[in-house]
Amino acid sequence: MAEFDRYLKTMLTRAETEARADGSATVEAQHLLLAVAADPDSPPGRVLAEAGLDHAAIRAALHREFEASLETVGISLPALDAGPASPDPDRTPRPGASIQLALERGVKAGAGGDLRPAHLVLGILQAEVGTVPRALALAGADRGALIARVRETLR
Amino acid sequence: MPDVTVPRDPADALAAVAALRRLADQLEDAAVEQAMRAGWGWPQVAEALGVTRQAVHKKHIKRLIAAGVELRRR
Repeated sequence: MAEFDRYLKTMLTRAETEARADGSATVEAQHLLLAVAADPDSPPGRVLAEAGLDHAAIRAALHREFEASLETVGISLPALDAGPASPDPDRTPRPGASIQLALERGVKAGAGGDLRPAHLVLGILQAEVGTVPRALALAGADRGALIARVRETLR
Repeated sequence: MPDVTVPRDPADALAAVAALRRLADQLEDAAVEQAMRAGWGWPQVAEALGVTRQAVHKKHIKRLIAAGVELRRR
């Protein structure tokens, strides 16, 4: 358990860094997914990498999801891009709704045993709607197959 | 309510709302910075955005000071 706590703490800190880099006021499930993918030596990180979902690929997919979602209402991103604004060095992004759901689902996935890194990524992958599943679909990833593959690492 | 063309798939429509909020936040950060660099004052920026001066000040001041933007007194 202490080992999982350490892993979780590392991942949450990294997710916060991802949120900051993203200019996001909240830390969301996609930032946690990027954090997991940034550690390809962990079992869940390896599953993602084997499916072609390394950190760069996920980040690219998230950007495509953003662009594609805006396109559905006729907005093209480059036309409105006013250039990046200066970040607030003191602003700490707060946990958003999607990361809370991911953590709840992860804990549920590991119920009845020791929590492991794979449970965390299961919690993220189990979301059926929202930014993460849409980005994964755009990256050509099979979410169901990924979940099965992560579950196999738990055996 | 004015006519709004909603994407046919609810998932697309809801994702568009989330993406627009994110885009609006990014655009606000960039536009406020651009205006302040151009010498606008807080009251003007607030009125142009349609929010209170306190709200825009509270949200952006630290960021702009950290970025070294020269701010007008009022």
